[in-house]
Amino acid sequence: MLQVTINGQPHKFVDGLTINEALRQIGVEIPTLCHDDRVDPYGSCRTCAVEVKGVGALVTACNTQLREGMEIQTHSPTVEGVRKTLFGLLAADYPAEAVAQFPDKQFHRYLKQYGVKAGGSRTAPAPDVPFMQDASHPYINVDMSQCVTCYRCVRICEEVQGQFVWKAWNRGDTTRILPVRGETMLDGGCVSCGACVDTCPSGALEDITVLARGVPTEWTKTICSYCGTGCEVNVGTRDGQITTIRPSDGPSNHGHTCVKGRYAFDYVYAEERITSPMIRRNGQWEDVSWDEVIKYISTKLAETIKQHGPDSIGVLSSARGTNEENFVAQKFARVVLGNNNIDCCARVCHSPTAAAMKMTLGTGAATNSLDEIELARTILVCGANPTDGHPVTGARIKQAARHGAKLIIVDPRVIELNEFATLHLQLHAGTNVVLFNAMGAAIVEEGLVDEEFVRTRLTEYEEYRKFIRDFSPEKVEKICGVPAAKIREAARIYATSKPSLSVHGLGMTEHIQGTEGIMALVNLALLTGNIGKPGTGINPLRGQNNVQGAPHMGCEPKLLAGYVPIEEARAQFESAWHVPLPTHKGLNMIDMLDAATKGKMKAMWAIGYDIVMTNPNTHETRRAMEQIDLVIVQDLFLNATAREFGDVFLPAASSFEKDGTFMNGERRIQRVRGAAKPQGLARSDWEIVCQVAKAMGKGEHFAYRSAEEIWNEVRSLWPEGQGISYARLDKEGGLQWPCFEENSPGTPILHVDHFTHGKTTALRRIEFVPPPQILSAEFPFLLTTGRNLYQYNAATQTSRTPNNGLHPTDYLQISPVDATRLGLADGETVRLRSTQGTAELPVQISDHVKPGEVYTTFHSVRVFLNQITTSQRDRYTQTPEYKVTAVNIAKLATPPVVV
Amino acid sequence: MPAPAQRRIIFQHIDEPGYTNDLACYVKHGGYEIMKKAFQRPPAELVDEVKKSGLRGRGGAGFPCGVKWGLLDKKSGKPIYLVVNADESEPGTFKDRYIMHQDPHQLIEGIMITCFANNVKQAYIYIRGEFPHGARILEKAIAEARAANFCGPNVLGSSYGCEIYVHRGAGAYICGEETGLIESLEGKRPYPRIKPPYFPAVLGLYQCPTIVNNVETLCHVKHIAAMGGAEFAKIGTPNNTGTRILCVSGHVQKPGYYEFEVGKITMGELLNDVCGGPLPGRKFKAVIPGGSSAKVLKFGERFKGKRKVGAEMVDYDWAVEDVPMDFDCLGMIGTMGGSGGVIVMDDSVNMVEALANINAFYAHESCGQCTPCREGSLWMKKISSRMVHGAARPEDGQLLKSVADQIAGRTICAFGEACAWPTQSYVAKFGDEFKGYADAKKTAKPGGVTDLI
Repeated sequence: MLQVTINGQPHKFVDGLTINEALRQIGVEIPTLCHDDRVDPYGSCRTCAVEVKGVGALVTACNTQLREGMEIQTHSPTVEGVRKTLFGLLAADYPAEAVAQFPDKQFHRYLKQYGVKAGGSRTAPAPDVPFMQDASHPYINVDMSQCVTCYRCVRICEEVQGQFVWKAWNRGDTTRILPVRGETMLDGGCVSCGACVDTCPSGALEDITVLARGVPTEWTKTICSYCGTGCEVNVGTRDGQITTIRPSDGPSNHGHTCVKGRYAFDYVYAEERITSPMIRRNGQWEDVSWDEVIKYISTKLAETIKQHGPDSIGVLSSARGTNEENFVAQKFARVVLGNNNIDCCARVCHSPTAAAMKMTLGTGAATNSLDEIELARTILVCGANPTDGHPVTGARIKQAARHGAKLIIVDPRVIELNEFATLHLQLHAGTNVVLFNAMGAAIVEEGLVDEEFVRTRLTEYEEYRKFIRDFSPEKVEKICGVPAAKIREAARIYATSKPSLSVHGLGMTEHIQGTEGIMALVNLALLTGNIGKPGTGINPLRGQNNVQGAPHMGCEPKLLAGYVPIEEARAQFESAWHVPLPTHKGLNMIDMLDAATKGKMKAMWAIGYDIVMTNPNTHETRRAMEQIDLVIVQDLFLNATAREFGDVFLPAASSFEKDGTFMNGERRIQRVRGAAKPQGLARSDWEIVCQVAKAMGKGEHFAYRSAEEIWNEVRSLWPEGQGISYARLDKEGGLQWPCFEENSPGTPILHVDHFTHGKTTALRRIEFVPPPQILSAEFPFLLTTGRNLYQYNAATQTSRTPNNGLHPTDYLQISPVDATRLGLADGETVRLRSTQGTAELPVQISDHVKPGEVYTTFHSVRVFLNQITTSQRDRYTQTPEYKVTAVNIAKLATPPVVV
Repeated sequence: MPAPAQRRIIFQHIDEPGYTNDLACYVKHGGYEIMKKAFQRPPAELVDEVKKSGLRGRGGAGFPCGVKWGLLDKKSGKPIYLVVNADESEPGTFKDRYIMHQDPHQLIEGIMITCFANNVKQAYIYIRGEFPHGARILEKAIAEARAANFCGPNVLGSSYGCEIYVHRGAGAYICGEETGLIESLEGKRPYPRIKPPYFPAVLGLYQCPTIVNNVETLCHVKHIAAMGGAEFAKIGTPNNTGTRILCVSGHVQKPGYYEFEVGKITMGELLNDVCGGPLPGRKFKAVIPGGSSAKVLKFGERFKGKRKVGAEMVDYDWAVEDVPMDFDCLGMIGTMGGSGGVIVMDDSVNMVEALANINAFYAHESCGQCTPCREGSLWMKKISSRMVHGAARPEDGQLLKSVADQIAGRTICAFGEACAWPTQSYVAKFGDEFKGYADAKKTAKPGGVTDLI
């Protein structure tokens, strides 16, 4: 402890604080114009200067370490005089109108506090070296006449997002903050994360929505509804309308967000949003009352059960919904319908991860936490493009690499992180198992295994050692397309530059050997002891806000809430629910469609799930959907499924309009809080499901009055979540399960002393199953797919926001070599053809893809890419193989009309 | 009493007829012999000699060179760098340029002895962008020296290797500030670093321990190695040892560069006896003794006080002409020896206009990083520029001073002082001129002012 005197009063502080941090602890406020906790202290504005006895010059509090015995004066006439002068200098030419319009801006508050009047005006002539004025960005207005040159935008862009968009140009009195290149932020490589706007103390950078709709009057802390990073955000509302979203200092995002979480919220107010229940009669959608629609559905479902049995109905829940809503949905299937035909969108993404990790480690979820990205010395990024798919996590990985962590990219494509990577293992799509086995072989062969870990925690090492010999890098380099020397180097880095952490995405899972690929990856962590320690582990980047939670709540045909097999927990659930649980095997989403094709699926309720748009091989999907008599779609919009096959539409509340919890990719439960009232008649998913349940005579099982009551039932059935109460979440913020008791801090790292299923686990021997030879003279290109920064999956939300302007269509990325061979120019439209169908889209010539391989995103309804993807599936979980399709590319004579 | 004679050690061969800047000429004049002998000695001994010599940095701050070397973090395990500050950009200073142009091998020999003494394997000469000719000469000299094994992988045939690189600046005054220079050398904007923690001796170039020395300082190292620290310390006056080059510019009969033992000559001797006094019909009005940022001295003012001579305290009562030209005496009277640039102004100079010129310079050269300097230098320029453009107000002098007072001591680097001191001293010493400027201009001959920069 340090003994320090502040303004004459003695205080004690722990060692390692800056003066500013110490002052904040005791509630002494000083101006800190250039300071932001998210970036390194900079000390350039000098407004935080304080007097320290015995030190000649004034000392800046933000970047000076507190020392024993310091005697500090924070508000002496000298320092207050300095501050007043500084604000006077800064305000001399500052537009007075801005101060009047936004009095709560940090800089404007300081001016008021120090009695300084802004001396400039918006009508004043521009100086010789003009200030940047730019309104071309869809979200951010730039007016640098309000710039106070604090460099916060420059530094946050560099130190948090890692984008380097802003730069100080010129010097001295003509210093101007301008984009690093070009005229606009977007020219400068802006990814629209909004961090610079959030940190700007003056209004030089401002959200366009704030300028248009006014400063928020209320703030609601909640969780972002896009990817599985689980960023905590503050939603600002005015007159009940969202005007801005700002990052909060949450445990998973530490005050950062991305363009989607920060800006893409206006879908809530989109014209096409459906806010009334509807029934399609004679081909026409008709608005109806909730009473009517509930009665209609309950009657129809009851009839269907009566005529065709409970198994003729399927429910698809959504990984976009809350845990509570998913819990209610699976309970509805099991208790009201009496079947296990319940699934969710995890089926098309990380089911293989969950399955593989459950089998090998005992828990089908990330072993470690996002905060450990900064602890790792090696980061292995496998089949993921985090800067686009999980931008906040991507930015953290980028920063870790900038700070010296070794970064190994495993991807058939070049991704943004490549710029910071030590190694790129550019494998042939679909050969993950070979590559990871080869790394395993190199680790074993070169004696790089963690022998202590092997001895105490692993079994079947000898068998693995013998098995893996056949995968030595030199033997398999031709199969996976990565030179043996590179495989060995990657293996050495991963095994020796520890701790090594791996993150992976759908490039790992959406394959025939998806589950097995994950097991091969898990083997590497086990062999090298990179598990159960800080900065290590296997960490799936979950694609959706609650895709970890939805199956965990039981939206899985084989599992109940808590991710436990039905037979293990049957007794517990039956006694809690006072009903017998169905005994027959449930159908997963793929099974349901297969059953539908055979005419066995008569009704389907899709909650927040656009089956037609997102499932692979659309033609096959359509054939299945056509057979279903009653299609209930519960969504914000009339999505492709509703448009083509819907019979009933139920308007759902968005995640800004309801309460509940999400579970992010690092097993963290976080509170979702309604910031605005649902639009029109929209209701939250759980309310709708409960009402149908009631109408079907099971009301006593669904008598919830709030999301919290549902959550408390979840906790009572799921021991690992028992300690996570709403009260705690509200007080402490998000908590990571396992968290058995109310006084437990949660578990950031799994498998520390033992695995979830026991002290040891076995190394799996994963054979490689060569993919069917799909390339042919007719279909000579391998197509792989992924997500773009600005759009999100089926683009239900993002396409209804200005994000659409930033990424208006899917593009086909093609290598310069192939483009030349096919005579294609940038922007020309091509027709992609596979065995399943065709899609038309413009090309983007890029050296990010190898010759012979092409890449695109799958967001655009117009392109409808899934018309060409095929029906190959993971051998374990039936997750579709979106990542590999053989295609033919033909130039179109006339471009299609852009809608 | 006649003025003492020059003692040319550093400038021994400058302007000497027939002396060329190539290696052959340097070697013919005994070049690199001192280095050969120095390399026979333990490095620590060389560091000791420099400590004993009392050599103070010739770049501006006058920090003891041996102490600077002693602060080096030698336990970090990181490489140690030498950065040669050849960004000679303080107005009124023109000494390093002549060393580099006419005697580059003297600098290289000084660098090599310094590197050897401090176990440095890489040295960078950061030369200001405006010296392209000097950069070419240095490149050539380094190539010659390297070919002759005076630097490079096997210095003097030993296993010790040391490379010297020339890096050209891009024309910014702030690159003379050592941490700004280091940032620039790293390829960034030359924003000075915050000290603590970024003292170059600990966290310098690439966050490694780094020595930053001025060109003239490093040349002295060669002569210290030759004669020994104790002998060097006998030159000059106590605590102000050795010789230094004074660059005299402005209103004197014979401006130029002169090398004297430090403190052995007074301002009056320098200006009147050495430089031939004022121009015909003129009187000295003011002098800046150590580069444009040093506080101005007004002829006619007197300085009284006590100072230590030997072991005892003695009274002094000096006119400007009586002040010995050394670090301590100039510091005592409220200004500084700085970079050795002596700028003389006679009674033809209007001090408001002179200050307007200096203020325009500093506003242009502020790096823009911290508020007081960026905004303050801008406002000082605006006010003094307004004054000379016909809109002076009687209170402008005090307004200028109030801005300057809030800059000095409030900034990240010493530029804050550098830009505030001229204003503070001009207004303090020539306040009447500032008060009466508007009236004086009304009666002055028409024609107005010329643009100052």
